[in-house]
Amino acid sequence: MYNRAFLFNGIGSKPEKLLVKLPPELMDKYEFYLETAFGRLGLNMDLEKNKAYDGRVAEWIISLICDRVVFEHYLDKGIIPDIGAGYSSGIVSISSCFGSVPHEFAHDIIMMNRATMRCLEKNNEKLDMGIVIGFSYSDIEEMFKDKFSTDEIVIGSGNSKFHVMVSGRADAVEKALLLCQNEGAIKAFSFGTGVAYHHPIMKKYSQEYVDFCGSIEYSAPVYPILSIFDREVMTKGSQVMRENQLNVYTPIRWDLAISKLEELGVTEFFDVSANGAVSKFSRVSRKCKIYTLEDV
Amino acid sequence: MREITEEIRQEIKDMIFDYYAEECEVEKDEITMDTNLQEDLGSDSLMFVELIEMTADKYDLDIKLQSIGKYMLKSPMDTMSDVVDMFCKIYQYGNDIVNQ
Repeated sequence: MYNRAFLFNGIGSKPEKLLVKLPPELMDKYEFYLETAFGRLGLNMDLEKNKAYDGRVAEWIISLICDRVVFEHYLDKGIIPDIGAGYSSGIVSISSCFGSVPHEFAHDIIMMNRATMRCLEKNNEKLDMGIVIGFSYSDIEEMFKDKFSTDEIVIGSGNSKFHVMVSGRADAVEKALLLCQNEGAIKAFSFGTGVAYHHPIMKKYSQEYVDFCGSIEYSAPVYPILSIFDREVMTKGSQVMRENQLNVYTPIRWDLAISKLEELGVTEFFDVSANGAVSKFSRVSRKCKIYTLEDV
Repeated sequence: MREITEEIRQEIKDMIFDYYAEECEVEKDEITMDTNLQEDLGSDSLMFVELIEMTADKYDLDIKLQSIGKYMLKSPMDTMSDVVDMFCKIYQYGNDIVNQ
């Protein structure tokens, strides 16, 4: 039933790394979407002039706009998805590209991260996230089980057999990354962002975000979306809304979501990120392939 | 330990140069053994992992990333010379690279 899946990365890549990969023929569209969005949201086009949290969300909105441009480019080329999945804030991106919510609302969801970050600051929470390259989900699970409690740190996402994201209290993340490095990680580094997306601790600090996600009625997505939390195929607007609400404080199994898509028959994956970020940390079996913007 | 010939060493070097030239979008002849992976090529760890997977497939090696990670603690990888040397050792010693 499903042959082709679109994969959305959402935030995580720096704007300069995304834009350098956008071909010139897509830049006009990108700039139009950017000016429209930044104008409406009151963000400065000169990213450095945006204060504190505005600067961060401005970068994230650029990621969403790049996703939209690439998504529309694929459609223009006749590459139509049968299904899709969004990694982390890629959920917000896929929700708008697949027509469940307007693009403006997706941008507003991203803007709501400011409220979450302000809440963390007010409560003096020191949180962080990190990436470990060289270990699988089960390797890390085994390594952490006697050393850290889940209150301190969780595996925020198992991305592939060699790529894991960890999330939790900043001191625990630091210790965990050092442990991984000493145990043979190819690389282990923290984001230093002060937030711990996909850790349950975020629930009490993200109420405003969660409420906002639920403040409009979502349409049924034009193409089905695979949940990265329970790996059910979502075809209703209410399911997409729930996915957005869970996103901030619930761990992901991206690796299992990719496997599930393969089980559902997907053999062609299309990375919707401009710089092919998803293809770099995801792995599919030999009978499948992940195409990037460069391939198209 | 697997024997490594001069031909295999050259083949590994060519494979690595070709890979980084394509991934980092530079001409192969711009890369030398002194080229710094990060500063000159802007390469990252995910590219490195992909190169390991490719090499393991090509030479039918059963190599754990953690063995390479532990080796890198002792011998950091900065230049192409370091990479070529490491991949020759991976070819020769497999997971036992950690004891080299």
